[in-house]
Amino acid sequence: MSQRSEFNNKDVGLIDILDVVLDKGVALKGDLIISIAGIDLVYLDLRVLIASVETLIESNKETAAKLSSKQLDREKEELDRVINQS
Amino acid sequence: MNLPKAKGEESTMEKLIYLYGIIPSAATSQPLPRLKGLDGESDLFSLSFDEIDAVVCELDPEAYGEKELEKKTNDAKWLHKYAFHHHEVLMKLYENYPIIPMKFCTIYTSYESLKSTIDQHKQHMMELLENIADKEEWILKIYCEADKVKERVAGYNETVESKKEEIAAMSPGRQYLEKRKLDQLIDQEAEKEKQAFSEKIHEDLASLSIDTEVKKNWNKDVTGRSDEMCWNSVYLLEKSVVESFLSAIKKKQKEWEDAGWHMEVTGPWPSYHFAKIS
Repeated sequence: MSQRSEFNNKDVGLIDILDVVLDKGVALKGDLIISIAGIDLVYLDLRVLIASVETLIESNKETAAKLSSKQLDREKEELDRVINQS
Repeated sequence: MNLPKAKGEESTMEKLIYLYGIIPSAATSQPLPRLKGLDGESDLFSLSFDEIDAVVCELDPEAYGEKELEKKTNDAKWLHKYAFHHHEVLMKLYENYPIIPMKFCTIYTSYESLKSTIDQHKQHMMELLENIADKEEWILKIYCEADKVKERVAGYNETVESKKEEIAAMSPGRQYLEKRKLDQLIDQEAEKEKQAFSEKIHEDLASLSIDTEVKKNWNKDVTGRSDEMCWNSVYLLEKSVVESFLSAIKKKQKEWEDAGWHMEVTGPWPSYHFAKIS
C-alpha cells in the first residue's frame, strides 16, 4: 500500500478544517468584510463552545482546579513558614 | 446598505455571490459536481472569465447581508456547520480540478464587483493555477505528552543538573525556595525542548518541500486532546515527493512515539496557504 492511501484525508477533524478555512491569510478579498475580520474573537467563541460541549471533561477539570488551588494554598503556607524562619 | 437593483426586476435586490474558488476554464469540460450552495437551496455553478472560471453560489442579500452574516459567524454552531460545508465543497472541486481555494465567506455584492476583482488578478491567477497543478499541500501537527518531556528535562538537562547541585549545598530554608525556582526552570527548559524538537523535525521535512509555513498552536480546549500541540506547520510539495515526505513522517512517528511525541499529518489540502494573490 502506498503511503498516500494510508494518510489521505485520514482523521481530519474540525480543528484541522477551521485551522485552514478561517486562516488569516486571505486569497482574495470579498466585498463583505465581516469575512471574519475579528478572527481571534471567533476563535475565542469556538473555544467556549467546544469546552461547554465536553461537559464531562469540563467537570473533571473543575475538580482538578479545586484540588490544585487547595494545594497552592498549602504550599503558600509552607512558604510563609520558611520565610519567617530564615 | 445600497445594493444595485437587478435589471428588469425592480422589486428584488441583486443576489450576493459567494465565491468558493477559481479553476482553469479548460477544466470545466468536465462538468461541475452537483452541489448545493451555502444556503442549502441554490445550486453551485461556475461563471466564466475566459481563461478561468469562478465557482460560486448565490445568496439572498437579506439573509446574508453584512450584518446578518456577522451575527451568523458569531454563532459557533453556525460557524462549525458552514465551515464544514465550505471545506466539503472545496474538497469535491479539488478532486476534479486544480483550484485556488477562497477562505470561508468570501462574498461579493454583485457580478460586476466579482468581475472587476477577478479581472484585476486574472494574470496572477492563471500563473498560480499552473503552478499549483502538480503540487500538494500537507499539514503536520506535533503533539507532546508534556509530563514525559518535563520528566526527561528534569532528569537529563545540564542546566537543571547544575542547579540541583547548587541547591544541595544550601540551607534548608533556601533549599525550599530554590526548589520552587528550579521547577520553573524545568518548565522553561521543557518549553525549549519542545521547540527544539519540533524545529528539527520541521527542518528535515522542509528540505523536501518547495515552501513551508509555521502556523499557530491550538490549546487543549480547542483540540480536545489530552496531549499538547507544540507545532503546527504546512508544506507545499511536488506530487512526486509526497511519497517520500510521508515515509519520512512515518519513520519519525515510529521513532518518537514512545518518547511521547505524536506527529499527525493531514492532506492533501486544496492550496489554502500557498495560493496567495496580491
